[in-house]
Amino acid sequence: MSGTKDTLEALIDADELYHSAPCGYCSLSLKGEILKVNRTLLTWLKSDEKLVGNKFTMLLPKGGQMHFEMFFLPMVSMEGRVKELSYELICNDGSSIPILLAANTIIGENGKIKAINVAITDSSERRLYEKELLKAKNFAEREQKRLEFMADLAHEMIWTANSTGRINYFNARFCEYFNCGKQETRTSFFLAKVHPEELRGLLGGWRKSQSSGGEFNQLIRLRNQDSNYEWHQLKASRFVFGDDDQTSWFGSCLNVNEHIGALKKKDEFINIASHELRTPITSLKAILQLLQRMKTEGSERMAGLIDKANHNVGRVTEMIDDLLNASQLNEGQLKLNKKSFNLSEMIGSCVHHIRIEDNYKITTIGDATVSVLADEGRIEQVLSNFITNAIKYAPESYHIKIRITPRSGFVQVAVTDEGPGIPAEKLPYLFDRYYQVNTSGGRYSGLGLGLFICAEIVRQHGGDIGAESVVGKGSTFWFTLPV
Amino acid sequence: MPMLHPTLARNNVNIIGNGQQVILFAHGFGCDQTAWQFVIDAFTDDFKVVLFDYTGSGKSDISKYSTTKYGVIDGYVQDVLDICEALNLKDVIFVGHSVSCMIGLLAAIKAPEYFSKLVFVGPSARYLNEGDYVGGFEREDLEKLFELMEGNYLGWSSMMAPNIMGNAERPELGGFLTSSFCATDPDVAKDFAKVTFFSDNRADLGNLTVESLTLQCAEDIIAPDAVGKFINEHTPKNQIVFLNATGHCPHISEPEETIQAIKAFVN
Repeated sequence: MSGTKDTLEALIDADELYHSAPCGYCSLSLKGEILKVNRTLLTWLKSDEKLVGNKFTMLLPKGGQMHFEMFFLPMVSMEGRVKELSYELICNDGSSIPILLAANTIIGENGKIKAINVAITDSSERRLYEKELLKAKNFAEREQKRLEFMADLAHEMIWTANSTGRINYFNARFCEYFNCGKQETRTSFFLAKVHPEELRGLLGGWRKSQSSGGEFNQLIRLRNQDSNYEWHQLKASRFVFGDDDQTSWFGSCLNVNEHIGALKKKDEFINIASHELRTPITSLKAILQLLQRMKTEGSERMAGLIDKANHNVGRVTEMIDDLLNASQLNEGQLKLNKKSFNLSEMIGSCVHHIRIEDNYKITTIGDATVSVLADEGRIEQVLSNFITNAIKYAPESYHIKIRITPRSGFVQVAVTDEGPGIPAEKLPYLFDRYYQVNTSGGRYSGLGLGLFICAEIVRQHGGDIGAESVVGKGSTFWFTLPV
Repeated sequence: MPMLHPTLARNNVNIIGNGQQVILFAHGFGCDQTAWQFVIDAFTDDFKVVLFDYTGSGKSDISKYSTTKYGVIDGYVQDVLDICEALNLKDVIFVGHSVSCMIGLLAAIKAPEYFSKLVFVGPSARYLNEGDYVGGFEREDLEKLFELMEGNYLGWSSMMAPNIMGNAERPELGGFLTSSFCATDPDVAKDFAKVTFFSDNRADLGNLTVESLTLQCAEDIIAPDAVGKFINEHTPKNQIVFLNATGHCPHISEPEETIQAIKAFVN
């Protein structure tokens, strides 16, 4: 126990405490002269002689002296304390130690400052951390610059957005395109460049990607610096940072105006070509009809050939109609002739029109009372496409089911077959232009336009279109219409 | 309510006192008008005391700061002239500390009609040594000062975090020096220091027509005796008074003596 007592006595030995403190102490006059100094500081300074009577500034390099006179002394005089001012002390052997100065003042009875007490801590290690941190910071900045440089080289516009969907970076190509400053990352600035017709769809799609985290991909028109609209493909993917679930969006925006222009030209060509094709085929058809009337007079073989020719002319006509439809849709020339009609009745007459071999059975179930305001002919075209597809692609499935399901705000019409089904990876592309499910087998020819036309018709009615399928069980094609 | 003149808002101009004669106090480097707080009371009975912060310092409107304008000393000279114009001042006694002395000198050369007397507290026409001229400093000394300023505007803990993380969103982390009277934006302070400490106004001294006083402190390492004497010798109608006050800020360390010296000159 006596050991503890000694320890305690040593602890309250003020003089020992002062001199052996783990930091340097000194007291200064208001002029900056050293009045008292502890052993720790003398040891750091490798100084044998007493410093008392000298100016504290003699321990500092000249720049430090200036700083001390201009900052430390006025600050401590006016505010009564200073904390963590950093300096360098010059030791007796010429080496230097980085230090932090903290000080307060002792006020005499007359209210004036009697002395300044200064605590000095060695900040060498802090300086090392500081250096490392600065290095890390510089490295990060360099990396950022490198990435930005690369992004600026790209011909595509590149952008990023934060987790709330606000745009926070654009590359140089963006600024060049819109003729704006690099700091122009306001989301509103970009939105003002979007063609009014695509703005709603863009915002809706962006919100959808925001909530689902799914990839964003849309075609939009943007107004360039010459106030002309050009088509762009806007894409974005979510990027999740490693550990803290911070997300941001990396996006691109590619000018596809030329590409879209080329597609348009192609459609124009198809349009003209199909018109041109139609004329001779129409006259061919007329001739065939004449021949058909005369076939009783000819041989059985000739009658067979005429039937075959008729069938083929019918197919060519269908294809040309598809081509015409598709190019009209593309140019927005599709005129909808809307009127109110009963869905169930329309389905009935459509099924009746389709010439079906005896062993197919088509049943219609669901709400027979639903009426819609739509172009009846076009909707029938969609439905008949679904049914003929079912017959064409699921020939072994003799039962086709049509279901009318009213939902809130819209009605769904679904056509289900019990055929071989469609592989899941092909489902997303069914409604794309020129897409053919079964290209390898080559069993069914066609232009791959039927479902594309259906989708456009439904979309222009403000509805949705889709397909679900289970391989080996069958497929369901559906569309919805607003009610 | 009358609109505050834009200059008076920009430079946080304060006017106190009952006298007719105007005395304009211009703060030195790194501080603001509160540096004069120990001396102004002695003048408010007989003078109209005008205090201000240079654009970019203290409580001035930092948004009016531009590196182009204040990248040369003339920007600060214009601050002083703008204030004289805004307040419609005449025959002003200008009291400048440290780097402000040369700002006042240039202002009085440009527009002598505003000024009656100038008081230089710790002036220097050139801080760098050059040939035979002893300014007191080499370029690397000043570079060291700038480095310390930069480090000390930030301090260790208050510095590193915002520096690493980007200061803008966490202003509370930069709060240590900004609450003190040396509340100057670090970038502005650096520009200010470069403009004032690297300027050479020796050739301007001879053009001053207004009467002036040099207050030379003892043991002032920033403006040593030789520098004060140089000003006194090269400036027409300049008197020099050697103070007992030591250091570079006699208005803070020995306000009484400073007050007496100014009063003796202006009365």
